[in-house]
Amino acid sequence: MTSRAKFIANVTSSLGRTEVITPSSDDSTAAFDDAATARANAGRVMADTAARSVELTDTMAEAASTIGWKVHRVANPEDAADIVANICVQKGATSVLRSAHDILDEINVDAAVTSTGANLRVTEHSGDNNETKVNESKSAAFAADIGITGVDYAIAETGTVVLHPRSGLSRLVSLAPPTHIAVLRPGEILDSLDDLFAMERSDHMSGNLAGSMNLISGPSKTADIEGTTVTGIHGPLEVHLIILETD
Amino acid sequence: MKPLTSDFRAKAAETMVDEQVLQSLEHVYTGFFKGRLEAAGNTDNWEDLREKGKAIKDHTIAHLDYYLGQLADNVEKNGGSVFFAADAAEARKYVLDLAHARDIKTVIKSKSMVSEEMALAQALIDEGIEAVETDLGEYIIQLSGETPYHLIAPAVHKSRKEVAELLDDSYVDGNPVPDATELTMMAREKLRSVFERADMSVTGVNFAVAESGSIALVTNEGNGRMSTTVPRVHVAVMGMEKIVPSIQDLSTMLRILIRSATGQRISSYVTLVNGARKSDEEEGPEEFHLVILDNGRQKLLADEQMRESLNCIRCGACLNACPVYRKVGGHAYGWVYPGPIGAIVTPVLTGLKDASNLPAASSLCGACHDACPVKINIPRMLLELRYRTAEGKTDKQERTSSMRERTVWKAWRIGMMGRKRFDVGSRLSRLFLRPLAENGWLKKAPPPISGWTSTRDFPLISSSSLRSRLNKRSKKTKS
Amino acid sequence: MPENTANSSRPERVTLFASCMVDQLAPTVGESTVDVLEHLGITVDFLDDQTCCGQPAFNSGFRSESLPVATRFIELFEQVTGPIVVPSGSCAAMVRNFYADLFRGDEKMTIRARRLGERLYELSEFITRFFGTDAIKGTLADTATYHKCCHLLREIGVDEEPMKILSNVEGLQMTPLERADVCCGFGGAFSVKMPDISSAILDEKLDNIETNGSNMVIAADIGCVYQMQGGLRRRGSAVQVVHIAEVLAQSIRNSSVLGKS
Repeated sequence: MTSRAKFIANVTSSLGRTEVITPSSDDSTAAFDDAATARANAGRVMADTAARSVELTDTMAEAASTIGWKVHRVANPEDAADIVANICVQKGATSVLRSAHDILDEINVDAAVTSTGANLRVTEHSGDNNETKVNESKSAAFAADIGITGVDYAIAETGTVVLHPRSGLSRLVSLAPPTHIAVLRPGEILDSLDDLFAMERSDHMSGNLAGSMNLISGPSKTADIEGTTVTGIHGPLEVHLIILETD
Repeated sequence: MKPLTSDFRAKAAETMVDEQVLQSLEHVYTGFFKGRLEAAGNTDNWEDLREKGKAIKDHTIAHLDYYLGQLADNVEKNGGSVFFAADAAEARKYVLDLAHARDIKTVIKSKSMVSEEMALAQALIDEGIEAVETDLGEYIIQLSGETPYHLIAPAVHKSRKEVAELLDDSYVDGNPVPDATELTMMAREKLRSVFERADMSVTGVNFAVAESGSIALVTNEGNGRMSTTVPRVHVAVMGMEKIVPSIQDLSTMLRILIRSATGQRISSYVTLVNGARKSDEEEGPEEFHLVILDNGRQKLLADEQMRESLNCIRCGACLNACPVYRKVGGHAYGWVYPGPIGAIVTPVLTGLKDASNLPAASSLCGACHDACPVKINIPRMLLELRYRTAEGKTDKQERTSSMRERTVWKAWRIGMMGRKRFDVGSRLSRLFLRPLAENGWLKKAPPPISGWTSTRDFPLISSSSLRSRLNKRSKKTKS
Repeated sequence: MPENTANSSRPERVTLFASCMVDQLAPTVGESTVDVLEHLGITVDFLDDQTCCGQPAFNSGFRSESLPVATRFIELFEQVTGPIVVPSGSCAAMVRNFYADLFRGDEKMTIRARRLGERLYELSEFITRFFGTDAIKGTLADTATYHKCCHLLREIGVDEEPMKILSNVEGLQMTPLERADVCCGFGGAFSVKMPDISSAILDEKLDNIETNGSNMVIAADIGCVYQMQGGLRRRGSAVQVVHIAEVLAQSIRNSSVLGKS
């Protein structure tokens, strides 16, 4: 008997049964919602997100600010770019890393960064997954002063930015540099964790679940020394949210 | 970790005279406990969420065999490997063998109580592999050679000075103690270089999602994210019960876990990982391994009275609420899990006979039950374990009650089975105790109540019972 | 949680369950309970043969000793109909919440226990539910604070009601106790089996009582009263710890002396 079979057989017998039975639906878990239901739920989320985007933006700004994001609300891409440039100057940044989110092109972030004298690198997959590339990518992230990303979603309930690392969006760009700037549009803001996981489930049921996901809610922090909260331990010490409200 | 549950009373006594630790334990109440209350108060449907969380866990545990199979299938579908470990030794061996096979030099560890059960860090170090705890609290206690003091704040008992002595190479006794920020920055710097060179990570798992083969990590520091990103091999270790069926269940579970643990609406980071890095990613581990650990949990599962304890999501809310924990501290519990949850699982996992003091050390106040995000009825299980240590019904080997104690309760029962003897016995006790009393109070009472009078005055039994007084008042009685 | 169902089907006759501790250690609490109930117009019966509900042995794990005592309790109180009132949250909890566990495996006794539990009330719960928290208008001039006994709070669900009842006593200045809902450390046999831990928990409670500054602490379970009073006496404190039944009964007596009720 493999250790898996033996292990599970033990569990079955601990539960007082002789064989594994497939659970039937009860009201507890969402596991029994079929693909159509999952899709419908996701559709509802998207509709709700669009319909309430003004209200959700206000909620997001407030929730994010409460938990330590420095929130900047701007009405045009130029102002967004200015904020990025100002942060680069403030931090004395020499090396900046960014993801390949569309919104960053929209605000012309490259020009904003390089205008301050910092150099800029985009996290993108070169098509080559060898060890050298991996190490290079890692080193660049650890050396960068600032990481800039767009968002895949944001969550108003909790002031959260959601990222699905993939080609063009590394895991480290929002983690290793001591400052992280996230740029988003109102249309990307979901109401709640329920909404996020409805979207994720729909992706899963259609075979498209992202390889990984990061929910980022404020700067890195710890209270392990005498219960005193200190901002910035292993992740960024300073996090900025730029909300581009061009409507 | 080797159980030292029989040291409970001695360790408890040490804590109760340690002003500095007692002060730290106060923070657990004023910080975490109050934080949870506030967060719960600000959450409209908090009680519904608790019910929902309980329902999800009840369902999962009732079908744990099915969901373990589904989880393993999906992890493998994602390209990961799954190892089912019957005990800590098997789990440890898997990780060590893997480390050797992959020529690992440096292992970074993210917080995992299960890895404490396995004493994994030390095992790696003994094999010549660098193993570094990256959660600040775990890092501190690794440096001091201690075990965790609290489920989510492992170094809560350490003073800033003690932390400086461990973290600050330049600190000398008598110097002004660096503040928490300075010390944290020192740790950040030290650990950052470790992150850069780590080739394997071992993380815990807050929730494993059966339908997708995902694991979710809840952290505030960022070490969980580092651990699932920088090394080429990622090993996640979990207790077999840490499953939820659906990815959508995470919204409920994350809400109740995080608000109950620290009072935050959400932690700085929640990380979901579906196996190793995908082909379109430039960083991330090449390999993902999930180690699923039994280590005695089958005993809890098979034990209908104790099974509910497997619903635990390891938030620490019961510790924060417990007046006993606040006085005896985490180390008194003698194993990985302190506080009320420790008092019920440790005896079953490591042996009730040696751990009999754990369920006894409770006033049954029920604060833990109130605090638990998934409504685990801890007092009920404390009473169950007391039943076993008192009368040993399930296994004679569990009985630890002395002949004297059993006699006392037998005498008590005899005394309560008739009104006359109840009255006579009471009046006789008064006769016996009266010479020791002053103004109706005893400063020193004989056994079995001598423990009381070591710190409190004890009331003298009344000269007449209520029955006789009411009869005197000519109330109508029935007999 | 008891609803304020004042004016709806008020009982006119109840049976008192004293609890073993009140019966033999603090009978004045039992007498006060009778006084309060009679003041509300109720006839109170007392079953002479009563002893204990069985909780002490159950809490210590000695279920085989608890079972016959609990059985005797049920058999005795089945002989009367109507509400049973007990001046103790923990005894009420034993009958209503824990008898099911004690009698597990015995369906008949479980049902009998449940039926009995359905008409058994703790005193302040009883007053609130059938008469309202403003039913007693006594007089007692003093400063006091209220400690929330654990079983009454968490097992029976009585939280602010006793404070409300007490706030209607004229002259009684009630102030909230810091950490009122934190255990006093009594826990029955725990108080003698682990006296060091019990006392450490008590110390925190007594510190909060002393900071509060009231002359009197009021609580609804006699075990907690003795734990706190015993500790305060040992500290040389003049603060009095009094059972709520005694406070209410005294306030009623004061009012009638003053010609108020």
